[in-house]
Amino acid sequence: MPTKKTTPDFILMIVTFMLLAVGLTMVYSASAIWADYKFDDSFFFAKRQMLFAGVGIIAMFFIMNVDYWTWRTWAKVLIIVCFVLLLLVLIPGIGNVRNGSRSWIGVGAFSVQPSEFMKLAMIVFMAKFLSEKQKLITSFRKGLVPSLGLVFLAFGLIMLQPDLGTGTVMVGTCVVMIFIAGARISHFVWFGAAGLAGFVALVLSAPYRIKRITSFLDPWEDPLGSGFQIIQSLYAIGPGGLFGLGLGQSRQKFFYLPEPQTDFIFAILAEELGFIGGSFVILLFALLLWRGIRIALGAPDLYGSFLAVGIIAMVAIQVMINIGVVTGLMPVTGITLPFLSYGGSSLTLMLMAIGVLLNISRYARY
Amino acid sequence: MRVSNVTVRKRLTVALFVGILVFFIIDLRLGYVQFFLGNLLTDGAKELWSRDIPFEPERGEIVDRNGVPLATNVSAPTVYVVPRQIKDPADAAEKLAAVLNMSKEKAYQLITKRESSVKIPEGRKISHEKAKEIRALEIEGLYIGEDSKRHYPFGNYLSHVLGFSGIDNQGLMGLELYYDEELKGKKGSVKFYANAKGERMNDMADDYKPPVDGMDLKLTIDSKIQTIVERELDIAQAEYNPDGIIAIAMNPNNGEVLAMASRPDFDPANFRNVPPEIYNRNLPIWSTYEPGSTFKIITLAAALEEGKVDLEKDHFHDPGSVEVGGARLRCWKKGGHGSQTYLEVVQNSCNPGFVELGERLGKEKLFKYIRDFGFGEKTGIDLQGEGKGILFNLDRVGPVEQATTAFGQGVSVTPIQQVAAISAAVNGGTLYTPYIAKELINPATGEILMKKSPDAKRKVISKETSDEIRQALESVVAKGSGKKAFVDGYRVGGKTGTAQKAQNGRYLENNHIVSFIGFAPADDPQLVVYVAVDNPKGTIQFGGVVAAPIVGEIMGDSLRAMGVKPRKNQIEKELTWMDSPMIEVPDMVGLTKKDLGELYLNLKIDASGKGNTVVKQTPQPGIKLKEGSTIRLYFDEK
Repeated sequence: MPTKKTTPDFILMIVTFMLLAVGLTMVYSASAIWADYKFDDSFFFAKRQMLFAGVGIIAMFFIMNVDYWTWRTWAKVLIIVCFVLLLLVLIPGIGNVRNGSRSWIGVGAFSVQPSEFMKLAMIVFMAKFLSEKQKLITSFRKGLVPSLGLVFLAFGLIMLQPDLGTGTVMVGTCVVMIFIAGARISHFVWFGAAGLAGFVALVLSAPYRIKRITSFLDPWEDPLGSGFQIIQSLYAIGPGGLFGLGLGQSRQKFFYLPEPQTDFIFAILAEELGFIGGSFVILLFALLLWRGIRIALGAPDLYGSFLAVGIIAMVAIQVMINIGVVTGLMPVTGITLPFLSYGGSSLTLMLMAIGVLLNISRYARY
Repeated sequence: MRVSNVTVRKRLTVALFVGILVFFIIDLRLGYVQFFLGNLLTDGAKELWSRDIPFEPERGEIVDRNGVPLATNVSAPTVYVVPRQIKDPADAAEKLAAVLNMSKEKAYQLITKRESSVKIPEGRKISHEKAKEIRALEIEGLYIGEDSKRHYPFGNYLSHVLGFSGIDNQGLMGLELYYDEELKGKKGSVKFYANAKGERMNDMADDYKPPVDGMDLKLTIDSKIQTIVERELDIAQAEYNPDGIIAIAMNPNNGEVLAMASRPDFDPANFRNVPPEIYNRNLPIWSTYEPGSTFKIITLAAALEEGKVDLEKDHFHDPGSVEVGGARLRCWKKGGHGSQTYLEVVQNSCNPGFVELGERLGKEKLFKYIRDFGFGEKTGIDLQGEGKGILFNLDRVGPVEQATTAFGQGVSVTPIQQVAAISAAVNGGTLYTPYIAKELINPATGEILMKKSPDAKRKVISKETSDEIRQALESVVAKGSGKKAFVDGYRVGGKTGTAQKAQNGRYLENNHIVSFIGFAPADDPQLVVYVAVDNPKGTIQFGGVVAAPIVGEIMGDSLRAMGVKPRKNQIEKELTWMDSPMIEVPDMVGLTKKDLGELYLNLKIDASGKGNTVVKQTPQPGIKLKEGSTIRLYFDEK
């Protein structure tokens, strides 16, 4: 066990704070109209996001100083608790329905999404499992089946809510971790082929499914239904141009784009700050990815390396899917943009995850 | 200890590059959406944000050839509502309903519609007083747009030709429909940008797109002649109470229609007051019927052109009927006309004489000329609803069909076809397409955007034949069946027609369409006038009796209005016992009272002034007056 602590990765911290600053600004800009209309307080969402950010930053600094091995000790407990919560949330009366999914546990502002916690718990558990059983990962039966089996069990439970976005991010993250751990490429090919075959079978059994999947390619086919959000999003991004309409000048936030401060905040950002602003945010995320991988490379042990990769993969995958959806590259899934989208549990959990990453960086040697 | 597992290190590097690549692709997509789809999306978004308040263009005016307005616009305020801007719909509905005389429920329903702007049907084209009342309500979201309403200053005048337009200023009938594209112009609008709740976004400038007014339409119609025609039809309507009257006046030298009228007519502003068949049918171009004797002009033209007859030298004996293919065809005159020259055959409108001409021509030639003169096909006049008429199919024409066609029975033609054909017969032989729209004019600049020029379809007969026809037809008016169309000094030529009406395959008894087609002056025709009266009551149903005098009146007044000079060398009218002889007024200036006594004039004298010598007289010398008319003389000392 390494003992020598150094300073945390300041670039990672600065990039995180920059993203947070952009996020707070944009949450205010995007939500002010809605907030004023609904709550007679244009700062309604901004104030809350500010609070979440404060809590998140405190949590981040706290976790930055908690040795990341601590989580390994708690990994089994954490994942069992999360599985229990995932089961509990499905029970009406305990789990609350929001936007058509039974994903929330708790009362009012103190509600949490068990699937969000499962995401993190699964990363910790996978990091532990893969670092301990790294030799077995090349084995189909002893390595892949148990690890992927656990992931898909959790995915299945999440899909019962249903919460496709979180489930996809979790599976994607775990697949990246398994890949990094050294699973055979041929196994990936087999899984890929099997997945494709399954997909084709699903499509053949019910051809309407292909339409649902490809509908995002032409949102104008159903402009008031499935295409509505994406059209409103494109109407925001398109007029933005190179420099944007100027901060605060969005038109689509005037009730055209529903809840512009959440999943589609990047559209308002691109509308107000243009291609320059959008590219800047993407660049910040790319820097984040670079620092994350760098930390994984410098981590003192495999567990730390896998944990770092898991965290940064989760962030990156969420960014890719979110911006992909907002710009019309992917079907709508309902994933927040890390650090930017409004939402308490999302923001605090992200900052806590960065805290873990920062802790690993304190032990890293490059 | 740092991670030394080679595979893990390699794969981390791969993951980094793949991740960066995906971010790059996403950024490319962002650029694609903002730059390549940018304009498209911006247009779409503007469409989404904008709310249009329409500005109606002014519909083009219709004016006669001298610029006299025949269809114009008067402004009419119209109420628009932008539902989302109305704060208290219930209150607004109540106030609005009270002013517009509509139910509160309906008003409420309209002003709460989920539309960007709503027109209130009861609030369309309202009076200025009502508009003032609505403005006084001061309801936010209620707008008064300036709309315009069609106005026909002459009422029924020319109604079938002008047609009318509907509440949206869209042409529905007549020229209003035929030239709707040109007349209607383009809608303009004020675009204002609004949020998804319909409230104005103040930071975006309103976009004003001015409406493009419709073009003014200048007609070939001469309102002076049209007025004369309408007047004469009113008189005839009162005198004969016929089922219908048709009149067309045309310039034979280019096809310009100068006047067109019919009865029954209607007021374009209240067209709903008459049954649709009245406003839908522009009889001068729509109706088809047997032309009767006016059609003999065609037979005559064909025979002359083919050299089948010499009007002066050839003689014909009319025993009162002629037997053709086993059928006996009678002349209209019982007992027949006896022996005549062919000129007299034309003057007398003698049926057996024309049967003979038809036989000399043969059916191929006869029908070729009929088609060449434009029968059996639409003339192509720029009005909606033109009829085509019916001709016998050539292979089904036997001797009887040939004979009846030669004197105008068994064919079905439209009035406008006859006018065009007879124009060709007298203008030197060229068939023109009749037309009624002369120019399209930019109302703002007065610039002429389209000018229609005469369309000569074909040369039908030679100039010489045409000269001969004019002469023959002038003699019909001076000496034959068309005497009542005689206008002194204007050398009217023409032909009467009395056509039987067929119903259910049989001819009606005592129910004719009597007609007259005339032209003048015979040496250089400037005007062709056709009048047909359908079933006149209380008169002998002869074209020469009913229709000829109407044409005479129209012809005389119109030629004077057109400034055509009277001619000297006319064929003098042959007097009948019905006519009172005309006396030419002598030059009486300088004569003494004693001299006057020796003139033995059958004229009354209205003398004024003191003295013994005539110093001034009205009318001027050379004018012809009926016997017993009054002449005014001014005397003075000399």
